[in-house]
Formats: sequence, structure tokens, C-alpha cells
Amino acid sequence: MAQTKTIAQKLPWNDRAGRFAPFKATVLVLVTLPALWLLYRSLTGMPAEQTALGPRPYIEAIHFVGDWTIYLLLVTLAVTPARRLFDWSKLIQVRRIIGVSALCYILLHFVLYIFDSKLDLGFVATEIVTRIYLTIGFVALLGLIALGITSTDGWVKRLGGVRWSRLHKLIYFITPLAILHYYMQSKIDVTQPVLVSGLYFWLMGYRIMARRGYKEGFVPLTILSVAAALLTVVVEAAWYGIATGVSVERVLMANLDFSFQIRPAWWVLFAGLAVTVASEIRKRAKFGGTAARGAPAGRTG
Amino acid sequence: MYVKRQKGWEIPERLATPESVYLNRRQILAASGFGMAAAAFPRLASAETDPSADLYPAPRNSKYTIEREVTPEAINTNYNNFYEFGTHKNIASAAEALPIRPWEVKIDGLVETEITTDFDTLIRKMPLEERLYRHRCVEAWSMTVPWTGFPVAELVKFAKPLGDATYLRMETFMMPDVATGQKQIWYPWPYVEGISMAEATNDLAFLVTGAYGKPVAKSMGAPLRLHLPWKYGFKSIKSIVKFTFTDEQPVNFWQALAADEYGFWANVNPDVPHPRWSQASERDLTTNDRIPTVIFNGYGEYVADLYAGMEDQPIYM
Repeated sequence: MAQTKTIAQKLPWNDRAGRFAPFKATVLVLVTLPALWLLYRSLTGMPAEQTALGPRPYIEAIHFVGDWTIYLLLVTLAVTPARRLFDWSKLIQVRRIIGVSALCYILLHFVLYIFDSKLDLGFVATEIVTRIYLTIGFVALLGLIALGITSTDGWVKRLGGVRWSRLHKLIYFITPLAILHYYMQSKIDVTQPVLVSGLYFWLMGYRIMARRGYKEGFVPLTILSVAAALLTVVVEAAWYGIATGVSVERVLMANLDFSFQIRPAWWVLFAGLAVTVASEIRKRAKFGGTAARGAPAGRTG
Repeated sequence: MYVKRQKGWEIPERLATPESVYLNRRQILAASGFGMAAAAFPRLASAETDPSADLYPAPRNSKYTIEREVTPEAINTNYNNFYEFGTHKNIASAAEALPIRPWEVKIDGLVETEITTDFDTLIRKMPLEERLYRHRCVEAWSMTVPWTGFPVAELVKFAKPLGDATYLRMETFMMPDVATGQKQIWYPWPYVEGISMAEATNDLAFLVTGAYGKPVAKSMGAPLRLHLPWKYGFKSIKSIVKFTFTDEQPVNFWQALAADEYGFWANVNPDVPHPRWSQASERDLTTNDRIPTVIFNGYGEYVADLYAGMEDQPIYM
């Protein structure tokens, strides 16, 4: 017999039994912070002339919210690897909160764009059809809406676990669409899109590795991190080479020039290696802890 | 005889807010402790010590004064595309590092004799005047600016180009230690722009040395920048160190980076969209309204005939 959930059970900061869950509540607050920061900036600053969002507040807000949509999509994709690598099963409780918040941010992104277009829906529709990067972004938006609608317990039940999981693997394709939209809207500098695509490569690479049985381990994770960084180098050079008049040779050389900034491929490598080291420490601590309880003399490091 | 034909979208000058009112407003805001007014203070101080400060304010050329409302100085000096100092628009404080004295200006190429002159010597040979110009960025936003400067035509007269010169090429400084954006080695530094000789000698083409009645801010391209109000803003090169007269069409910075998005001519046209967005309207940063864009940014009566017979060329890109 299907039981109707009580209101307490439906609240996102409560657990399935309807009790307050501090971990879920914390994550809920965290995903709301960027929106609150945006709200704060849109209300403060120079009342006589402009807000803290500057002279083009809509554009500033659209970019800010778009950035956070992509960050949250990456965090959603990081839940599964983090659960395995850090033995942190509790994370599954907040995956839906993070995923739905990505949907909220992309909806806000779209609504702000409509406002920037003076609420002219005909113009918005024409632009989405005419500008390929907007078409791509719009497909990502539709995809996330579909996942948002089917994110409820009711839909999991209705579709059955296997079909539901298969549907929600769409996130693997929606995220790169959003990232491609990020590349294509850039005027010339794609440093940020390159960085997020590198992180995406690592997260997807991890899934491919895990399917082949390499769920953890210092060596496989190090190889994954190096491979994701190298792919980042290649994708960055390819983007500039194909989409712009920038010299590919100079883009590649810039990876070895630290006078201006550390290029995104390095950050991908650092992030990957940091996770590798952290998971190794976590594993040893766990192993060490178990050993300590069992046979202290066996601890050799 | 010059007859001013009033356009439907133009507003009479009496409706434009005089600069003194803006300055007063700034003082009121400063007195009430708002942060952005304070940001203008270092600039005010440097304006006083600028060796050309005595040249301002210059008399206003009444031919170009019918305008939209002038954009507040605080917006204009804090929202600038100046990739030498960063790929975002918040470069005003980074640009303060630019040493604008001494500032050498070189004139070379197809000229009778090459000239290298100090900026302060050059500016005192030029007839300074103030003009109110609309500025339309390719990114679909616009400002209205009270520039001070002299027509490019005056520089051309001074340079004495040879008869076979067909283009004027201009170059920004190259100082990667100061302008750290120039350390991004994949960009084709220094910034280059170019105009045809016909454009250079059109009265609208203006070399800017000042704005808001004082030497121009570093974030806006001190000490010497171009402004071509009928073209997209990227044509109006900042902080110029070199003028070269040539018979070859220069490849400008943005054309070198993305030739399918930014061309050589770049004349404003609402009916020719940028590949990634419509140019039909623009966000006026003064009022924050989205307003219709006008062909040649409303300056067609002065410049449209420059492009007669050039329909086969990408004059709007």
C-alpha cells in the first residue's frame, strides 16, 4: 500500500523519517549561498547610479548564475566518486539537493536572460533558434528540467530503479552541453570553460575506470589525473585552433609560462592529485585504524 | 552653410545634463560617503599634476553636442574593455600602474619625414575642443562621453603623409611588466587598429586626450586614444604610441583573434547581427534602458558617403 508522505518527510532538510537532518540542511544552505550573494549584490552599491552588479546588472547576474549552474553540475557528478574514494556514503542523501539546485540556477539564468531581452518572448525564441550556442544551452535546460521533474521518490518508484538510473545518466551529456555553451559564449578567453571541462574529464574518466574495476588506488588515480590534464591541454589548444585565430603553438607554450597565471590544465592535475593523495590518506587511516584495533604490531605503514 | 537636421531619436541639448550638475552630484555622493565616488579621488589628484591639465576644459564644439544624457564619469571610468590589464571590465585600478609620462609618439611609414615627438609637445600643437559622442560597444551596450581632443585630420596634416598612403595604422604601448595582460603570450600584442585615409580625414574621427573636462583617465586609454563614434568600440584604440601611414590594410587585434566576428570596418548596423548576438538594440549604461541601435550609430549624415560603392565589402563587421 502506497503511503502518503507527511509534510515533515517532504521537507528537503529532513530525513525520510521526517526528522531534521543537519547534513542535508547544511548542504541546502551551501547551495543557496551563491543566490543570496547575488541578491545582496543586486540590492547594494550605489543607489543613485548602479548596484554592486555594475552597469550591466543583468549580464553580470546571468554570467554569475550560469557559472554556478556548471559548478553545481560538476559537484553532482563528483558525488559518486567521492562516496567511493572517501568512503562517504552519506553523500547520497544530498545528491538530489545539489542536482535540483543546478536546475534552479539554470532556470534563473534563463529567466534573467528573458528579463534582459525586455520580456520579449518572440525575440528570445528567435535568438534561441538562430544562435547555436543558445540552442545548445536551451537543450541543456530542457534536459535538466526533465531530470528535475523525475527527481522525486514518486518518479523513482514509477520508473523503477534501473530505468530511473538510466534516465538520470543524461546528466553525463547535459553537463558537456552546458560547458560547450560556456565555451561558445566566451568572447575569446576560454580559461574558465577549459578548467571546468578538465574537471569534467576527470569525473567521467573516473567512471570509465571504475567500470573496468579500478575504483581506487594511488596508481590508477594518478594516471587518471595526468590523463585528464593532458586531455585538457589538447582540448584547449584545439578550441583556440579551430574556433579562433589564436596561435595553437603559443597556447601550448603558455602551459609552461607561469609569469601571468597557472594555466587550467595544471589546476586539473593539482585537483586530481589532491583527490588521489587525500583518498590514499583516508584509506591508510582506515586500514591503520582497523589494524590498530586488530593487531597493533602489524602496522608497518 | 551647415544645416543641422534634427533626427527623431535625438534629444535637444537643453535636456542633456550639464557636466557641472554631474560633478555636483558626485560631490554630494562623496560627501554622503558612497564608495564609488571615493574611487575617483586618486584620478582627480593625478589630473591636477598632469602637465597638460591647464588645457582643460576646452571649448565645446557645438556641432556635436546634441546627445543623449551624458554617462556618469564613475561608470565610464570603471567599465572598460582594456585587455592589456585584464579580460574583465574592472581594470581601472590595474590601469593606474600605466606610466603616462614621458610618453613618446612615433609617426612613420609613408610620410615625408618620420617624426618622434613627446606627447606634451604634440598636444600643444593641436586645436583642442570638447565633443559629446555616443560610444557603441560591439557587445551591445553604449555610453555617452564628453571627450576632449582634436580631429585625426589635424594629426594627418601634421604628419604630412605621402600621396600613396591609403591607411593609417595605430599601435598601443607594449609594457608587459606593467600591463600584465600582455603576458598572455597567445594574444597578438600590441593592440593594433587601422582606418582608411578617407576615414582618418573625416571630421568625426577624433583623437582623445581628455574626458569630463580633464585629462583622460588611464582606464579609458590615457594619454592619447582614438574615438570613432560610428564604429564599434574596439576600433577606438587606447593609449597610442605609434601612427604608421601605409598602403596596406592593417589587420586589427580583434580581426586577428576572431576574423569571423570582428572585421576591419566594423561600422554600426542594427540589421547585421554579430554571429553570437543581435545588434538590433543596445543597453544604454546611463539609463540602463535597452534602446534601438541606429545605423552608423546615428552618424550616417557625416559618414555614410565614405562607404558608397563598397557594398561588396564587409563594412558592417
